[in-house]
Amino acid sequence: MAFFAWLEASGLAEWVRSSSVGYPTVITLHAIGMAIMVGLCVIVDLRLLGKFDGIPYQSLQRLLPVAWVGFGINSLSGTGLFVAQATMFATDLMFIAKIVLVFLGAATAAILQPELAKAGTWPGGVPPANVRRVAIISIVFWLAAIVTGRLTAYIMIFI
Amino acid sequence: MHNLPFHSLYDWMLTTWVNKVVLGYPWSWPTLESLHFLGLCVLMGALLVMDLRLIGFQRTIPLKAVHSLMPWALAAFSINLLTGVGFFFGDPYNYAGNWSFWAKMLLVVLAGLNFLFYFFAVEPKLLRLGPNDPTPALAKVVGVLSLTFWFGVLAFGRLLPYLGTGGG
Repeated sequence: MAFFAWLEASGLAEWVRSSSVGYPTVITLHAIGMAIMVGLCVIVDLRLLGKFDGIPYQSLQRLLPVAWVGFGINSLSGTGLFVAQATMFATDLMFIAKIVLVFLGAATAAILQPELAKAGTWPGGVPPANVRRVAIISIVFWLAAIVTGRLTAYIMIFI
Repeated sequence: MHNLPFHSLYDWMLTTWVNKVVLGYPWSWPTLESLHFLGLCVLMGALLVMDLRLIGFQRTIPLKAVHSLMPWALAAFSINLLTGVGFFFGDPYNYAGNWSFWAKMLLVVLAGLNFLFYFFAVEPKLLRLGPNDPTPALAKVVGVLSLTFWFGVLAFGRLLPYLGTGGG
């Protein structure tokens, strides 16, 4: 807990909390990064599950770096939002669930990215069952991450 | 703020069942917020693929395939329109008195007009293009405007509680 208190006392935390532009700027960047990362990942997942089948898998694989830029924006802005209220977030189960789901969602994207590169070898252009399974799990993780992330603003479950 | 234009409309909204549902249960507002964010992710994801292709990236995507993203983008936008109307009925004076809200709505209208222009005037000419064909300048302009307008919608929406809170 001392570590989170130290984070919360840092200059960055103070800036996010008290500057009139700090918090609004960081929270807006967090929404933009989310839209880019989650939006592109969900499109990739839906493509693997048979939607918009005119879009080549390889082109989506080459768009995934754009998604990772969104993830980078959110790692940085999320760090700012976290340190501003570190002791609160570190003990809030809703936030802990959200952050775990975000990293699980990102893990599915990291798993699917190299799989998309092998799309040329898929018979009939249909991904293997295990890849389709990851795509379904990915959508579930992202949906749950968005909902729990939004709920952190409304429902706190302190441990 | 009862001197706002159309204030009788906002007063009426406060008397409707929509207002009662949005404000009457502790889970209503968070549920609408969650749906609004899910909708925006799907909308922006579809738009990024469509608009980046129009601008000239990932030319291996045929323009007919770009078209197949439209139903998803429109469905996501519909979710956000409905949930957004719910927010407005729940707290009309807060939104109507906030310039950030009107900036967001102006950008939604501009984005809609940009889409209609693309749909009726630009896309019919593009569908003849095969994979790897470069897009004409007009399509690139539509793509850049679309991303600019929609990211602006997202930014003004998120900044709404912090900018111009003249209502309430």
